[in-house]
Amino acid sequence: MNASATMSAEPVLELRGLRKSFGETQIIRGVDLIVRRGERHALIGPNGAGKSTLFNLISGHYVPTSGDILLNGQPIGGMAPHLINRRGLSRSFQITNVFPRLSVAENLRISIMGKRGHRFTVFRAVSGLKDVNDEVDAYIEKLRLQKRRNDMAGDLAYSEQRILEMGMSLATDPTVLILDEPTAGMSREETTYIVDVIRQVTEGRTLLVVEHDMSVVFTLCDRVSVLVYGEVIATGDPASVRANKKVQEAYLGEEVH
Amino acid sequence: MRLKRSFLFALLALAILAALPMFLSGNLLNAAIKMMIAALFALAFTLAMGQAGMLSFGHAAYYGLGAFAALHLMRAAEQQLFFFPTPLIPLGGALAGFVFGLIFGWFATQRSGVYFSMVTLALAELLFTIAPTLSTIFGDESGISTIRGASWGFTFGPDIEVYYLTLIWVAICAFLMWAFTRTPLGRLALALRENEHRVRFLGFNTHVARTLIFAISCLFTGVAGALVAIANEAANYTIFAAQGSANVVLQTFIGGAGTFFGPALGAAVMTFFARVTSDLTRSWLLYQGLIFVLVMLFAPTGLGGLVEMHARKLRSGAWRHLAGPYVLCAVAALLLIAGVVFTVESIHVVLTDAYTAARRSAGGAWVPYKLFGFSFHPMVPTTWAIPVLSLAAGAALLPIARRITMAAWKRATEAGGDDAVAPGAPGPTARNEGATA
Repeated sequence: MNASATMSAEPVLELRGLRKSFGETQIIRGVDLIVRRGERHALIGPNGAGKSTLFNLISGHYVPTSGDILLNGQPIGGMAPHLINRRGLSRSFQITNVFPRLSVAENLRISIMGKRGHRFTVFRAVSGLKDVNDEVDAYIEKLRLQKRRNDMAGDLAYSEQRILEMGMSLATDPTVLILDEPTAGMSREETTYIVDVIRQVTEGRTLLVVEHDMSVVFTLCDRVSVLVYGEVIATGDPASVRANKKVQEAYLGEEVH
Repeated sequence: MRLKRSFLFALLALAILAALPMFLSGNLLNAAIKMMIAALFALAFTLAMGQAGMLSFGHAAYYGLGAFAALHLMRAAEQQLFFFPTPLIPLGGALAGFVFGLIFGWFATQRSGVYFSMVTLALAELLFTIAPTLSTIFGDESGISTIRGASWGFTFGPDIEVYYLTLIWVAICAFLMWAFTRTPLGRLALALRENEHRVRFLGFNTHVARTLIFAISCLFTGVAGALVAIANEAANYTIFAAQGSANVVLQTFIGGAGTFFGPALGAAVMTFFARVTSDLTRSWLLYQGLIFVLVMLFAPTGLGGLVEMHARKLRSGAWRHLAGPYVLCAVAALLLIAGVVFTVESIHVVLTDAYTAARRSAGGAWVPYKLFGFSFHPMVPTTWAIPVLSLAAGAALLPIARRITMAAWKRATEAGGDDAVAPGAPGPTARNEGATA
């Protein structure tokens, strides 16, 4: 229903028979998943289904036990997080994960410095990097944080910190952005604001998002995958997934709301 | 505006330091050299600790390596193996510090937090242990010594020439370290301190970044070591001792890592304190420890934090409210210090061999002892009335002085219209140096 103009059937992120065990316990039990270029893809599932583990595998935080993760056809499973980021996949975190005692502008600048090749620059002042600073301002505007530009990130409201955190991931200019519960713990109003921002900033990118709020899933996403007990049991457009018998059973007979 | 003011203060400080030798005698001039070197060491240490959150317990290693690199260069020049100008000797220290900072840092920065600290400590201890056996490099127990060669029209014989050489190097290094805080890597250091995990997911190889920052800290530490080698013309393996690593940690915390100049101030003050008190009493380490504990308890932002707090009051003219209460605080503090020092020193004298010998010759009777040029009898109540009364008076006065000061601080804040964090209250420990724009 929200099909972006750029969406195509070509896979940008592909998981093949992905497994992850911690000791004896298998958390991810053979996940196959295709995320198409340009789509907004939601990952839903009950608590403990393995959604966060899956994100940690994709972003390089964990090494898969077996199976493949392909980004633009290239295997990235088990690579270091910073290398995966440079290949065009960036993630946000479920818990707010900013640099609390740096200003909003500085938080974003770290991302942009890295992307623009100023990772370890020591012979130039940051104030002289005009391209970097212009881009910082552009992102601050996109995220609607103009009034908070010079405030410490730790002093922002919770919803603003989440927006900033997402902005930091976004500012590394990924082809695939993965967001872990971006609206968790937010009021109705804040949810509207963040969903609005997400829709705007992910234009032309691919989004994979873990989300509990079904109304968000329905307004934001093109396709939905349901992860239950470490396996994907259904993938499709939101309406057909909601109608899926297996999905309804997985949510303990409750109607998916 | 803020930048301009900082520059003016830096220039003023430089001018004062440049003019200082005119007023200093030989011994004090030497003390001033050591204070400047300690300040540089503390600034270099803070580059890793304060900015990037890497608390190194082994910085004496890089200080010592810088010193020995300098000594070997000086010795080679002395033996006329090749010409190397004395003023550029610290470059050798910088190179040694940087190279070993890279190598040791590569291992240490694999870990963070306490584990990082332990690895740095272990590496420094390793050096301390093997240094005496590598006598060609570090000399044996007595170390190696050499002399400063004449170059560029200076003999570098008199202390005053060493003073200016040290001043120039310290000023250049301090400026470079300040400039570092404004480079992309310097800003990244702050992000690493705040949240290394997040940095990793933004496309940075945090291990490389931390190694580089650590090595840069070691580079400036190496310069400090080279300067001390130039000043002393000698060093032995004890320069690697854990004492040196611990000192710079204490000095930095007393100075306060929350401001750029704080650690330098702390190091200079404590070096001077050690120099003066170690001549007067053998209990000076106890007093140094007490100062550290008191600063941590009542002024966690350190001397630098206190200075910054009061600079704001000075500018707003609100210090008028504070002058009176501070005199009262000073009186209370002096009474307490007098009580503590009298007690400590009396116990110390009574426990010396000399005093026990005196008692023995008096047939075991308590004999009077000498302290501060006066004679006291340990078994006479009036002797102990001195510390008891001064401690009691100080303790009684302190809460009153504190209450009055708090009230005065509030008035001063209202008059000056800035923040209401009183000295002694846990203040903001945030450090966000340089441009936030």
